Amino acid sequence: MSNSIIKILALDKVATVLSMIRQNGGVFGSLYKLYRQEELKDGKLVGEDSFGNKYYENPRYFYSRNRWVEYSDKFNMNYDASQVPAEWYGWLHYKTDLLPHQDPGRPKYKWMAEHTENLSGTTGQYVPYSTTRPKVEAWMPKPKTSV
Amino acid sequence: MLQAIGAAARLSRTGLSRSLPAFSTSSRLSAEDPASRKEAPIIDNESVFATPEEKKEKMTQVVAITVPTKVDLSPITGVPEEHVKYRRVRIYQPPKNAMQSGTNNIQHWEMEFDTRQRWENPLMGWTSTGDPLSNLKIQFKNPEEAIEHCEKNGWVWFLDVPKIEKDFKPKSYGVNFAWNRRTRVSTK
Amino acid sequence: MLRQPLSRALGLSPSRVAPLTARKFAEQVQAQPDNVELFIDDQPVSVPPGTTVLQAAAQIGVEIPRFCYHERLAVAGNCRMCLVEVEKSPKPIAACAMPVMKGMRVKTNSDLTRRAREGVMEFLLVNHPLDCPICDQGGECDLQDQSMAFGSDKSRFTDIHFSGKRAVEDKDVGPLIKTIMTRCIHCTRCIRFASEVAGVDDFGTTGRGTEMQVGTYVEKMFLSELSGNIIDLCPVGALTSKPYSFAARPWETRRIDSVDVLDPLGSNIVVATRTNEVLRILPRTNEEINEEWLSDKSRFACDGLKRQRLVTPMIADSRGNLTPVDWEEAVVAAASALRDCPPDKLLAVAGELADAESLVALKDLLNRLGSEKVCTEQYFPLEGAGTDLRSSYVLNTKIANVEDADFVLLIGTNVRFEAPLLNARIRKAFIHKETDIASIGPKVDLTYEYIHVGDSASIVKDFATGSSSHEALKRLESAKRPVVIIGADQLKSAEGPALLAYTQELALRLQDKLADKEWKVLNVLQRTASQVAALDIGYKPGVGKHLQDGPKVVFLLGADAGVVTRESLPKDCVVIYQGHHGDVGAAIADIVLPGAAYTEKRGTYVNAEGRAQQTLPAVTPPGRAREDWKIIRALSEVCGARLPYDSLDEVRDRLGELSPALVCYGEVQNNNYFAQARQLAQSLQKPVSGKLDVQLKQLEDFFMTDAISRASPTMAKCVQAVIKQKQSPY
Repeated sequence: MSNSIIKILALDKVATVLSMIRQNGGVFGSLYKLYRQEELKDGKLVGEDSFGNKYYENPRYFYSRNRWVEYSDKFNMNYDASQVPAEWYGWLHYKTDLLPHQDPGRPKYKWMAEHTENLSGTTGQYVPYSTTRPKVEAWMPKPKTSV
Repeated sequence: MLQAIGAAARLSRTGLSRSLPAFSTSSRLSAEDPASRKEAPIIDNESVFATPEEKKEKMTQVVAITVPTKVDLSPITGVPEEHVKYRRVRIYQPPKNAMQSGTNNIQHWEMEFDTRQRWENPLMGWTSTGDPLSNLKIQFKNPEEAIEHCEKNGWVWFLDVPKIEKDFKPKSYGVNFAWNRRTRVSTK
Repeated sequence: MLRQPLSRALGLSPSRVAPLTARKFAEQVQAQPDNVELFIDDQPVSVPPGTTVLQAAAQIGVEIPRFCYHERLAVAGNCRMCLVEVEKSPKPIAACAMPVMKGMRVKTNSDLTRRAREGVMEFLLVNHPLDCPICDQGGECDLQDQSMAFGSDKSRFTDIHFSGKRAVEDKDVGPLIKTIMTRCIHCTRCIRFASEVAGVDDFGTTGRGTEMQVGTYVEKMFLSELSGNIIDLCPVGALTSKPYSFAARPWETRRIDSVDVLDPLGSNIVVATRTNEVLRILPRTNEEINEEWLSDKSRFACDGLKRQRLVTPMIADSRGNLTPVDWEEAVVAAASALRDCPPDKLLAVAGELADAESLVALKDLLNRLGSEKVCTEQYFPLEGAGTDLRSSYVLNTKIANVEDADFVLLIGTNVRFEAPLLNARIRKAFIHKETDIASIGPKVDLTYEYIHVGDSASIVKDFATGSSSHEALKRLESAKRPVVIIGADQLKSAEGPALLAYTQELALRLQDKLADKEWKVLNVLQRTASQVAALDIGYKPGVGKHLQDGPKVVFLLGADAGVVTRESLPKDCVVIYQGHHGDVGAAIADIVLPGAAYTEKRGTYVNAEGRAQQTLPAVTPPGRAREDWKIIRALSEVCGARLPYDSLDEVRDRLGELSPALVCYGEVQNNNYFAQARQLAQSLQKPVSGKLDVQLKQLEDFFMTDAISRASPTMAKCVQAVIKQKQSPY
């Protein structure tokens, strides 16, 4: 009965909001998260990758919104989806329900390269270069010995 | 002065190139009006034996359009101005390939456009050109046709005629063995 | 409309008209006996007696297949490909060697003829490897074409199971020619070329039958400046170009007709390019200049166009090192140097590869800035008529007419290396017209016998005054068509004016006596491709005097001969170099402006006989290099002395204003005012005592003479190979 009263008065929503605020580090913490992510969610922290991105799950949300990532603070406002490493990508996109550390089938070798984000538009971006030999050999002036 | 040069030039080269102006001239087409030629008219048998009615009918059928002035197609061909005004056409006879002795496929006249910039694509090193006319070579029977074609299209042209006709000199197998001439061969 | 060709309308027959001059000489030599009439494929043809059947067929446009026959070489008659049937003859005859007979009926397309050709083809192919896919001649091979046209459709060759195909060891004939002697079909064209045209009797055959081999007897380099031509002559792939080996197929290349500038004759060439790269250079037939030949430097120095190039403008930094900059910066720096320089301290020097357009632009620019000091590297005496009369600095006889000469006097020139194709003409006259040659100057190998008169300059004086009793003078005076050629190098010394004056005196004394008033005797052989154009435009020859004035700004237009050095200039002098190769000039420059080489621009060059010809652009200039006259035009804009032309046509109009001869492409004018030049020179006839010497004496001197050939690795290899060959002990 009390439950129904709570539901009628929507007090459970208030409680959720309060717990969200609590989980996200108080009023200022929550405002910061809202500013950064334009969304405030509560959920269970299921893991963290080597970059410091945190992965959450909350089955209360609708499917496709119930797994999410909070990017590491070191990315500040410059986060983007390519910062999610491959090992978390499958879980985040519902290709698997197994978390990376729970999945025995994942190969893990020493030689596997560390994940890099997409560097397009930065100085680190890939630029194709000519592999043909230059057809004309330019003249190199002889350096003069300083007098 | 210029006349003197022309006369000197005429002496030194073959008849063919001399009979033509070496650069484009706009007044050329009107100058060689066929009507001014002193020749007997060519009459075929049919028209001689035709009845007046037949003649009249034929006249209405055969309508020859003569254009006395210079024709310039360039405004209506759709060729961009860049490729009309700023191109130079070279009219020439294709040279014999020095590596071969055959002379087939070079007995005509050709026109080609000037070579334009080519650049190298960075990925594969292939070369590109922005010139749609770079592969256009048109063959003609004689330079007059080529010139007319160029004039019609508004291209600036020039004739390139090196002297390739050799003076005729009989060759003889016997001179290889002449006892008193320098043509005697030393090695075989 | 009934339209007739213009030529017919004007009453001119377009074909087979011999030039007037040639016809005139032909009449003088001998009255032609009556022509012989014969029938070739039932077409009547009338030719002079002694003509071969093959030549008669060519007169009416019937081409008989051939391998060994070449119209510029002696008849050999050994390939048998030209067999044709003649009525009433029991066997087919070799058309290339058979003289015509009256009423002969030749069938060039009968069954017998075709069977004969097929049989010859079969024999040739028995001993020819089937390696067309890896053969450099593939696609431009006479054997390929003719086996397609006349060969059998099936093979009867079974010997492969017994003794196999004939194989011959390859010969090493130097760094230019690659030999694959198994492919040789023994046409002996290379042998005939070497002994007749090149005058180097190195090639020959050994053995007979299947054992026959073409080679050099003992292994040695083919020491000739015309050696590349045997690559063209070879109808199969036995002799191919070493630098071009495995580079491209003929159908992949674009061919651009152009003009050579590496020697003063301006030979006609075809530049073969692919992917914006010059791959090879071939000769283009021009009877008035190079016939069908090309010198090795012109043919093989093209790889120098890809090395040591200036690709970006450069300015010397505070430590004097040239560093790449933008065009804008370089042009502004050069223009401000030119503008701020007092006009009398401004000097421009044009080099040997400059085209007439850039020459005229540079001269106009300097004149607008108030300076008259525009000069060329090569000196020419200014005393007497100097460069005012064209007749005193060009080849007046004209290259083609040299072969009609009956006595040639060379004064202080090694024609063989200064103008190889002119030498080939003289040799042609020597062999076919029994022309004799005399030379005053050092004893050099000219590939033909000549009367060596001595090397003292005073001989020229004795000849001119007629006081010499030498046999050569007597021959010269009795000659009907004498030719006197003086090398421009001799005119550099202090005795130059006197030498030229004496030569003019000699030549005109001879000329006045001639029955043929059209014949010109005096010839001055320039050394570089740009000199005649520069003198026509009004450049002053030689820099000596102007260098002593201590110029503040020196503009070098491709001046790489080493005439201007840092030591000869004041310390604070600004040197602007514009050109296409990093060579002597660019090394001493403060500002470098990259220009285009002769394969990259449409440029006018005037050859040693005064014939204007134009090069056509085959490839794009590398990097940020630009056409030369455009650079000067841009400079003038920034200088504040704007030149009044914006397009090439306008520059050429300006050239035509200076001298109409500069834009009469392909034509050469007859020169006049010989008598006036002689009169002006009379006061200069002072006693001379020096010795005549030439710069290029040996074959190794010939290969590297200008910025392009000095940058060419092939030319460097040639020099090494020649030196090594000469040291060879056998």
